[in-house]
Amino acid sequence: MHTGSEAKGDCLVEVRPEGHDGITIETKSKELLGAGIRSAVAETVAVLGTGEVALRVSDFGALDYVIAARVEAAVRAAHAGTIPATPSVDRAASDRDGPRRSRLYAPGNNPRLLAGIDIHGADCVLLDLEDSVPPEEKAAARILVKHLLAAVPFPEEVWVRINPLESGGRDDLEEVLRGRPHGICLPKAESAPDVERLAEVLSGIETELGMPVGATWIMPIVETARGVLHCEDVATASDRIVAVAFGAEDYTRDVGARRTQESLLFARSMIVAAAKTAGVQASDTVFADLGDEAGLAAEAALARDLGFDGKGAINPRQLEVIHAAFSPTDEELSYAQRVVDAAEAAEAAGSGAVALDGRMVDKPVLERARRLIAYGERLAGGRDTR
Amino acid sequence: MRNAVGREIPERIGDRVLRPFEGAFATSNDRPKAPRPVKSAPRQEDKLVPSIDAAIEACGLSDGMTVSFHHMFRDGDRVVNQILDACARRRVKGLRLFPTALFPVHEPVIEHIRSGVVNRIEGSMNGPVGAFVSQGGKLAEPAVLRSHGGRWRAVEAGDVEIDVAFVAASQADSYGNANGVHGPTPCGTVSFCAVDAQYAKKTVVVTNEVAPYPAHPMEIQQGWTDYVVEVDEIGDPGSIVSGTLQLTKSPTRLRIARLTADAVVASPYFTDGFSFQGGAGGISLAVTKYLGDEMERAGIVGSFGMGGATKLLVELLHRGLIRTILDGQAFDLDAIDSLRDDEAHVLIDPGLYANYDSRGCATYKLDTAFLGATEVDLDFNVNVNTHSDGQLLHGIGGHQEVAAGAAMTMITAPTLRGRIPVIVDRVTTVTTPGETIDVVVTERGIAVNPRREDLKERFAAAGLPVRPLEEIKAEAERLVRPIGKPVFGDEVIGVIEWRDGTVIDVVRKVEGWT
Repeated sequence: MHTGSEAKGDCLVEVRPEGHDGITIETKSKELLGAGIRSAVAETVAVLGTGEVALRVSDFGALDYVIAARVEAAVRAAHAGTIPATPSVDRAASDRDGPRRSRLYAPGNNPRLLAGIDIHGADCVLLDLEDSVPPEEKAAARILVKHLLAAVPFPEEVWVRINPLESGGRDDLEEVLRGRPHGICLPKAESAPDVERLAEVLSGIETELGMPVGATWIMPIVETARGVLHCEDVATASDRIVAVAFGAEDYTRDVGARRTQESLLFARSMIVAAAKTAGVQASDTVFADLGDEAGLAAEAALARDLGFDGKGAINPRQLEVIHAAFSPTDEELSYAQRVVDAAEAAEAAGSGAVALDGRMVDKPVLERARRLIAYGERLAGGRDTR
Repeated sequence: MRNAVGREIPERIGDRVLRPFEGAFATSNDRPKAPRPVKSAPRQEDKLVPSIDAAIEACGLSDGMTVSFHHMFRDGDRVVNQILDACARRRVKGLRLFPTALFPVHEPVIEHIRSGVVNRIEGSMNGPVGAFVSQGGKLAEPAVLRSHGGRWRAVEAGDVEIDVAFVAASQADSYGNANGVHGPTPCGTVSFCAVDAQYAKKTVVVTNEVAPYPAHPMEIQQGWTDYVVEVDEIGDPGSIVSGTLQLTKSPTRLRIARLTADAVVASPYFTDGFSFQGGAGGISLAVTKYLGDEMERAGIVGSFGMGGATKLLVELLHRGLIRTILDGQAFDLDAIDSLRDDEAHVLIDPGLYANYDSRGCATYKLDTAFLGATEVDLDFNVNVNTHSDGQLLHGIGGHQEVAAGAAMTMITAPTLRGRIPVIVDRVTTVTTPGETIDVVVTERGIAVNPRREDLKERFAAAGLPVRPLEEIKAEAERLVRPIGKPVFGDEVIGVIEWRDGTVIDVVRKVEGWT
């Protein structure tokens, strides 16, 4: 029974048959790395409570949490083990209206691409267990994502995209909720019951883990024709929803469209309208051509114009452009400030009516200006979010 | 005795008296240079000899002599091995090898050490020879590692006396003028060993193209050359681009490059006439690319970019973003073409580039430089020579002179390589002292040397993630358990010279592990 791989940043763990015992470590520099790896392996085995197991661990530069994940996956597969009580994680809750200009995808079973995924300043990191993980790696991936969540204090939001509930999603949740992600992305959301079922499972696990019920956000991904037509139901199905995302790849396949900005316009507009009806954010689809920075900028600008609050990213290289598109501009911020100033001046003068540049400012405009200023301050006050 | 970076240095090793490092600019080498041998020769038609063997014979190359080489073909060099094989066939013993650098292609040197043909090495060892020496492959004296400028200085000072200099040149005439830009296999420059050719008792030009007199540019001059030998092969220019010269795709490394470029833009140096040196590592190449775009955006034209010249630097020249390239060595074929064809691509030898014993070298005119590191410690000392396991695996290159010279020296490095931390309490070996390092850029933030509060303020004002080095180190260490540490014995296997000839550190033999 093997788990892991020989890829850089990973390790290969083999549970050895009867006749072997102890832990064998193979690594490039035994003197330099052997003891550290052995201690990471031994600690994981102890937690699993299966008693003595014979293991061979071949290291290719794996971090501690990768070693722990690979050992746990191998031992549990060999001994039909259950989910251990550790690791347990204490993660600060996030703000439901916080910035989500970007959601940066990372494949859940690739240690090399997961390493350092927290450092790029993405507003949301999205650890993927669905499309980027082949079926035979799903079990190992959810364990790896759990250990990553436990090991890394993500400075912004961290989310997990699970598999559909009926095909592995429940197992994903059982595992990764122990890592306390801020939220769960639900792929192929098509109806209110899809979301309600997820919310129910979340409540069950949250109770079991002693978490406050409702602590885990939901971001449904609308990516089918049916989903687009029912996206208002989807967006309003649960209080846990803080954003609705659009997935164009599956959507174009589903309706038989070629991907152009025109062919996506209907779905995008529907999703924005549904999200805003529900009072939550809308997040646009990913842009797959990594080399085409101008194309990404144009698409992000269009999405911003339509009312989206953010966009998916497949590589950290895309974040700068995406963040620029979804951050308020200096002009927008200074106009908002003038609106607020005018309102305060009017209030001080005891006047009910607010005017700016000879035009009346009504209440929604003032509220929007206040929100924009708060949002801008938040972005500026955060750590490096370029 | 303890030197100025706190390293314990023996007072002497054999007959060699060691001077301790006292500070980056503390030494005043106030003495005349060593005399150069007079080379007067009668009128002769040519200096061609028919074979390497004939050249060795003519030079009187014999036991215990010092032979020198340059490394402009890097991992594609074919000359060092040919000459040493010939020496072995002639049963020459006890040679001191004085290359500017050795590469993995020079692995056969190990056999020559085993058989006694070579018993001392003074020069950078990149790869297997370094590993062999570290693992107990016995040399009669410790290896001596010098920077490019430090090596030049050592020859001029008489610290190393060269018996025979072998100059691989891609083109030469039969009277001994030689260059690296022409011929079927150009390597860029051969000026790297101009000092060798002038100071050696005998100088042999080894070429694969004998051109009609006069061959030029005259990087190596006829007045310095004793013999010219034509061989089939001197090097493979394709292998000049060895290993590191790839623009990185790693998101972590690209982030480091982005932060570095942003820090340069935020620095006081990013104005018209700005100058910089980038190296050949993946991060450094990406910084060069980003900086070019930033210069274009800001409408800034740089006075010069210094190399290790690469395709990326040449592109900046062609885009009009820098006025000049000062080229110490060519790192790829585009750089070689440009060196030959572009008037503003100026060849500089290591003496002009970096000699401490000069009235000002080119690195002193640098505004900024971004350099790599194997380890960086909390005093900002940098190690590029040994791995964390104590093995001697890399040369100094221009690290010391660029760090000492640039107004703002930046180290770019990831916090972890696999499971091995790069930011450490104390570097395994000090190559370059912390007093010359201003900024360390990692994927987890930018650390600024406390000596440079001015930079810290500017970076912070630009919204860059400035953090204490200790904090960055701790964050990386949360991801990996501590690694083992080598326990060093007393035996010194390598001496690391600072560029002024003092000893900044020694490499001792690993005897065990914690």
